[in-house]
Amino acid sequence: MSSPGPDTGAGGVELDGVSVAFGDVAALEDVSLSVADGEFFTLVGPSGCGKTTTLRAIAGFETPDAGTVRIDGRDVTGTPPEERGTGIVFQNYALFPHMTVRENVGYGLRFRDPPGGVSRRERVDELLDLVDMAGMGGRDPTELSGGQQQRVSLARALAPGPDVLLLDEPLSALDARLRERLRVTVRGIQRELGITTVYVTHDQAEALAISDRVAVMDDGRIEQVGTPEAVYREPASRFVASFVGDNNLLDGAVTGTDPPRATVRGVEVDLPPDRAGSVAPGDRVTLSVRPEAIEVVPDARAGADGRRTTLEASVESVEFLGEAYRLHCTWEGRDLLVRSDSRQPSGERVVLGFDPADVRLL
Amino acid sequence: MGRRVGQTDRGRLRPIRRAAERLALPAGLVLTLAVLVVVFYYPVGSVLVEAVVRGGRLTAEPLLAVLSDPFYTGAASSLFADPASVPGGLAGWLRAGLPPVTFGLFGFTAYQALLSTVASVLLGLPGAYLLSRFEFRGRRTLRSLTIVPFVLPSIMVAVGFLAMFGRNGPLNAALVALGVGRLDLLFTLEIIVLAHAFYNAPLVTRLVTAAWETVDARRVETARAMGATPLRAFRDVVLPQLLPSLLTAALLTFVFTFMSFPIVLALGGLRLATVEVWLFARVQELELGEAATLATLETAASLALTYLYLRYEARQVRAGGDGVPLDRRPLFDGVGALRDPARLGLLAYGLLALVVFVGPMASMVLASVTGPGGGFTLEYYRFLLVQQVAETAGTTRPLPAIVNSILFGAGTLLLALPIGVVVSVVATRGGRGSRLGEALLTAPLAVSGIVVGLGLLQTLVFGTTLFGRRFTATGPVAIVLAHAVAAYPFVTRNVAPALGGLDPRLADAARSLGATRLRALLDVELPLVAAALVAGAAFAFAISVGEFDSTVLLAEGVDSYTMPVALERYIGNRSLGPNLGPATAMGTVLLAVTAASFLVIDRVGGRWER
Repeated sequence: MSSPGPDTGAGGVELDGVSVAFGDVAALEDVSLSVADGEFFTLVGPSGCGKTTTLRAIAGFETPDAGTVRIDGRDVTGTPPEERGTGIVFQNYALFPHMTVRENVGYGLRFRDPPGGVSRRERVDELLDLVDMAGMGGRDPTELSGGQQQRVSLARALAPGPDVLLLDEPLSALDARLRERLRVTVRGIQRELGITTVYVTHDQAEALAISDRVAVMDDGRIEQVGTPEAVYREPASRFVASFVGDNNLLDGAVTGTDPPRATVRGVEVDLPPDRAGSVAPGDRVTLSVRPEAIEVVPDARAGADGRRTTLEASVESVEFLGEAYRLHCTWEGRDLLVRSDSRQPSGERVVLGFDPADVRLL
Repeated sequence: MGRRVGQTDRGRLRPIRRAAERLALPAGLVLTLAVLVVVFYYPVGSVLVEAVVRGGRLTAEPLLAVLSDPFYTGAASSLFADPASVPGGLAGWLRAGLPPVTFGLFGFTAYQALLSTVASVLLGLPGAYLLSRFEFRGRRTLRSLTIVPFVLPSIMVAVGFLAMFGRNGPLNAALVALGVGRLDLLFTLEIIVLAHAFYNAPLVTRLVTAAWETVDARRVETARAMGATPLRAFRDVVLPQLLPSLLTAALLTFVFTFMSFPIVLALGGLRLATVEVWLFARVQELELGEAATLATLETAASLALTYLYLRYEARQVRAGGDGVPLDRRPLFDGVGALRDPARLGLLAYGLLALVVFVGPMASMVLASVTGPGGGFTLEYYRFLLVQQVAETAGTTRPLPAIVNSILFGAGTLLLALPIGVVVSVVATRGGRGSRLGEALLTAPLAVSGIVVGLGLLQTLVFGTTLFGRRFTATGPVAIVLAHAVAAYPFVTRNVAPALGGLDPRLADAARSLGATRLRALLDVELPLVAAALVAGAAFAFAISVGEFDSTVLLAEGVDSYTMPVALERYIGNRSLGPNLGPATAMGTVLLAVTAASFLVIDRVGGRWER
C-alpha cells in the first residue's frame, strides 16, 4: 500500500498474515491489515480480542509465529523494538518515576538525534509546548494529574520523531469528561504532525469518534475494517453489529422474496428491497435494526403506512440520556432497544415501527 | 558546531555500541552458565557420577549398599536388603506390640529436621502475630532484622550457642543463682533443635508476616458484616491466606535443617551426626567413594523436597496487592495493656525471643571479654594479636583472615551481583527462558555445602584433566567463584521480585524509544529496584563472609583462610586452656563485619523504599 521511498518522513504499517500464540492459546490468527501513511487507524474490540497483541507485534514486543510486519515498507518482523522507530503510549502512562518530566521526554533522544537538526533541549521544549506542558519540565511525574501524565507520555513518544505512533488504551484510565477532551487533543496533534497512528481501545464510541478507519477485532481475528460510518451502518458480521453501537439483532427465516420478507417470532418483517436477490425462502437470517431506526408510532398512525414494519411491545424501563431517552422494551419475549425523543411510561404497551430500508441483513 | 561534530562521532560509534549492548545480556547469561558449570554443575555432577560408576561401569551397587545398611536406614534397610522379608518383619513388629524402631542415620536426620521445623514454627508464629497485628516503635526495624539470623555465619552462631548454653554460660549461671541447678545442653538434640530454630523461626515469621500483611481488611470486614464473629472471620478469611505461607516456611525449614552442617557438627558432634556431618567425616577420612554415595542420596532427598516446595509455591495464588491491609493495634496503650492476655503472652514471647536470639550473640561477645575467673579481660583479643605476629608456619593469623574475608566478600559481590541480576532478568522477563532461570536459581540452594565442597575438592583441588593437561584451582579464585555461586541466589531472591513487581511497560516504553534491552535495564529498571540491589549485595557479602563449608576445603595452605575458617581452628585451639576465649573473640569480630553489611541494608534500603 504505502510506497517506500527514501525521503518519506512517516510511513504506513502493514501486517501480513500475522499469527501470535501464547502457549496453546492463539492470540492472533492470520491478521492482515494495512494502515496508510498519516492515517489514524483504530483497533477496537472486547478485552482479549487481540488488539493489544496486534499493537505489541507492531512495536516489536511480540514476535509473530507467522506472517510479516512492515513499517514504511521495511520488513521489521525480526527487528528489535528499539530499531523500529515507533513511539508508544500506554494506558498507565508508564512514565519513568525516577526521572523528571524533561528527562522523560528527552529519554528517546539519547538514542536518536532530534529530527529537524535542533538540539535535544530545543526538541524537548518543542514537545512540551506541543502537549501544552511548557514550564512543567522540572516536575516529577508523580506530581502530575493523570491527564498531564498522559500528555507527557505522548510528548515522550513523539520526541525522537517516530515513523508510527502506537497508542494502547491511552485514555482509559481517565474520567469520562477528561477522556473526551484529551482525545480531541490527541487527534489534533496527530493531524498537525501527520503521523501514522495505530490506536487501541475497547471503547467503540471512542473508536468511532476519533478514527479515519477502524478495525473491529474479536477472538484474535479482524472482523471488519472500514470507516467509522461504514462499520456502524454496514456491519459485516453479527459480532460487529452487536459490538459497535447499540443494536437489535433479530433471528428469523426468509418467507418471501417479492416483497422480500422474513418471519421473526411469528411476525413478518419486511427486508430491505435491495437485498431481495441475495435471499431465498427458507434461509435463516439475522436482521439488525439500530435503536434510532425504531420509533414509537402513535396509535392513530399504526398500520397506516404500508412500508413500515410495526411491532407491539411493552416498555420495561426508561433511561434518560440527556439528548434522548433509551427505552428497554420487550417484544415476543426478547429485548428491544429503542431510542426515543419522548419519555414513555414503564409498563405501557407501545407500537414500534421501522423502515425496511433501515434493516440490515447479516 | 562542536556539538554537531560530537553528534556525528556519536552517530558513527552508535552501531558498534548498540551491538555490544545487545550482546551484553546473552553474554552475561553464557558467562553465568559457565561459572555455574565450573564451580557447581561439574563438581556436583562428578560426585554423582562417582557414586554410580565403579570400575568404569554404571552400577547401583554402592547406593543399594548404603540403603540396605541398618546403620544408615535402620528398620527400613530390609526394604532394600531383602524386600521379601518386609511383610514378615512388619507382622512380627505388630505382634511384638509396636516396639520403637529407628531408621538409622537418614531417619535421625529427618527426625531432627522435623523437630527443628516444629520448634521453628512454634517460635516463629507469635512473631508473625506481633509484627503484623501490632504497631510499636521499631516494628519495621524488627521486621527487617528477621532476615539477619538466616545469613549469620553458622560457625559463629554455634560458638554463640556454646557460650550461652555451655556449663559456665549465662543460662547456667542464672539457673544456679535461682537454685535450680545446672542444665547440661551441650551435645544434646535439644540444643541442635534450638539452634535450628534460631535460624529458621525468623523465616517462619517473615513469610507469615508477609502473608498476613496482604490480607485485605475489606474481606474480613465483609465476613464480619455478614455475621461472622472475629474468631470465625479469622478462621474463614485470614487463616486460609496464612496457611500456604506457613507450609512454605515449614517445608523450607525442613530442607535447610535436613542439610544443616556446622550447627550439628559443633553442637552435636559425631554422636548426634546427621547425614551431612557423617558425610563430612567420610571426606575427612578420605573415604571419597562412600562420601559420594551418601552425597548422592542426600542430594536426591533434598532435590525432591525442593521440588515439592517449588510445586507448592507455584500453585499458590497471590492475593491482589491493592487490598487494604488490616489495622495494627498499638502494642502499648497504657496500663490496660497489661491485663490483655494477648499482650501478656507477647511479653513472655519477647523474653523467650531475647534468650534465643539475642542471648547467644550477647553471650559470645560477653565471653570474649570475660576471663576464666569471671573478670574483664582483653586476653583473647591479645591472643589474636599474638597470633598475628607469630612467625611459626601454619598458625592461623587473624588479620589475614579478616582481610581475606573482606576481599573475598568484595570479589563475591562483583561476581554475584551481575550473575544475580542476569538470572533475575531471565527469571522475570525471559518468557520461555524463565523456567531455566528458576532451575538455575534453585539448584545451588538445594544442594548442601558439603556436597558442593566435596565436588570442588574432587575436581578443582585435586585437578581435572582437560585436553591432556591437568588443571587445578585453589585459593582466592576458586573461593570467590564458590562464594559467588552460594551468594547469587540471595541477589536474585531480592532483585527478581522487585523487577517482577515493576510495570513491564516501563521497559517497553524505554525500548520503543530506542533503548536496547540492556539500556532499559540500566536506565530504568535497575534504578527503580536500587533498594533490592543494595540489599542483595549486602546479602552476597554476608554470605561470602560467613561461608564455611567449601571455603575450609578450598583454603589450601595458610594463605587464603577466612574468618569462619580461622574461627573453627580457634575452637579446636586449646593452647589457652579449655575455653572458648579466642573463638569468641574471633566470632565477635566476625559478628561486627557481618553486622556492618546489615547496617548498609537498613540505611540505604530505608532511604530508597518509599
